Amino acid sequence: MSGTEAPALPAYDEPFRAERSPFLWLLEREVLRFLTIWRYSVVGPVLSTVLFVVVFGSALGRHVDTIDGVGYGSFIVPGLFAQAIVNVGFFNGTTSLFEARRDQYINDVFASPLRWWEINAALVGGGIARGVVVGAGVLAVALPLTHGGAPARPLVLLLGTLGVLLVAAQVGVIAGGHAKSLDHVYSIESIILLPLGFLGGVFYSVHQLPPFWDVLSHLDPVFWLVQVERIGFLGQGDVGAGWALAVVWALAATLTAWSAVMFGTGRLKP
Amino acid sequence: MADPFAAPAASRRGGSPPALRVEGLRKSYGDGFVAVAGLDLEIPDGAFFGLLGPNGAGKTTLIGSVCNIVRPTAGTLSVFGHDHRSRQARRLLGLAAQEINVDRFLSIRQILIYHAGYHGIGRRAAARRADELLALFRLDDKADVRAYELSGGMQRRLVLARALMHRPRLLILDEPTAGVDVELRSEIWRVVKGLNAAGTTVLLTTHYLEEAETLCDEIALLRAGRIVDRGSAASLRERYAARDISEVYDRVITAEEVVS
Repeated sequence: MSGTEAPALPAYDEPFRAERSPFLWLLEREVLRFLTIWRYSVVGPVLSTVLFVVVFGSALGRHVDTIDGVGYGSFIVPGLFAQAIVNVGFFNGTTSLFEARRDQYINDVFASPLRWWEINAALVGGGIARGVVVGAGVLAVALPLTHGGAPARPLVLLLGTLGVLLVAAQVGVIAGGHAKSLDHVYSIESIILLPLGFLGGVFYSVHQLPPFWDVLSHLDPVFWLVQVERIGFLGQGDVGAGWALAVVWALAATLTAWSAVMFGTGRLKP
Repeated sequence: MADPFAAPAASRRGGSPPALRVEGLRKSYGDGFVAVAGLDLEIPDGAFFGLLGPNGAGKTTLIGSVCNIVRPTAGTLSVFGHDHRSRQARRLLGLAAQEINVDRFLSIRQILIYHAGYHGIGRRAAARRADELLALFRLDDKADVRAYELSGGMQRRLVLARALMHRPRLLILDEPTAGVDVELRSEIWRVVKGLNAAGTTVLLTTHYLEEAETLCDEIALLRAGRIVDRGSAASLRERYAARDISEVYDRVITAEEVVS
């Protein structure tokens, strides 16, 4: 070490003043994290979603009748868009928070002047940002492939997508806060998220199902996320727009409260 | 109940509150293990304070509680008179943890810059300070690599550099020389002594008793979550009729552990 320094010590009796908000620094770090691994975090999810559109929508879709007057390719795009956001939101939150806990660099954040709700909001903000980037990527490729036009109900689409982004990011952060190992993270994805996604009406209308499964589908949270996007893009779904928005935002509010309790009560600390 | 070994509130700096005040700190975990059992401690502003004790004595739990990393079960902690959870307190605290707990997604220069950011420092000032510390700790040629690509000694220097990024008034060093070679150890102590001479209060935990004896102007001995004695190295030697702090440690900690 080249020499000792003589630091100008901060006064002990002055209130904390930030030149730049610590929250913005942490949010920036969260965005930088997923951009650093862009092949895995952005290109991978966009590519796999687009492959679903190509295989199911363009290739198999030719052999499938229209659903409620909509071509099969156009029908599945909103659901795939919602599913892509849910997947990246989940993985962003889980990996970011779980790795920060496992490697203990979350301690550097907890020891800093960042307030609990700023840490919570920055982690969720990172998941939302990744959802926006991946969702935009999916639409940029999938809409031209399926000859999709302007959204039928832009306001429903906007409010619904904001809700879906929030739900996805909060689920990820909550799972990241509770996971005890990386296996735990992947098992949540494969045992809970994936089945809910497939049973959420991405590839079909639940009205095509027997009555029991139709009703049961309504208990699947992913069903509502898919519906709100489908109504926004196509103007119609298996439920009304008001119900879809209400359920999605009730989910978002519940998960936000859960996440806030997790951070606010210090449950992430021993 | 006040700790009979707690130091008087007097400060080296006349009038400033103690750098750290801990009253009745207790931490028990879900499995019933009591890591800290009603600990009182006061460290004056400007002190170089050593905390000695065996593994499991509660040193890291005490430090974690002070730094807002561990939730105390009971007790109050203040840093320069501010509640330890307040932003003012956290702004004044710097921690070089025992573990190499750095962000593996960032380069080492970014690790320093973002740490400063979490303390509210602007981008330009953070970058300038990072470059200063990278040069001071001879990490400047590694600025763009990831921490896991560094040697153990370099990682240790990085953790110390990060703790200094926001110029803390109270620097907590938890086993800062564990696993580092003799040359780096003396380099680290030279920097830390310089900081203390310039006014930074230092709280040090170490298993190198001779280092604590040489560096610290006061030492506390911790066993089973309680401070069992404290004082200057000279006063402890005198009290136990010991030749050095190792002998004091043997009598106060090791012998008691054998008895219990």
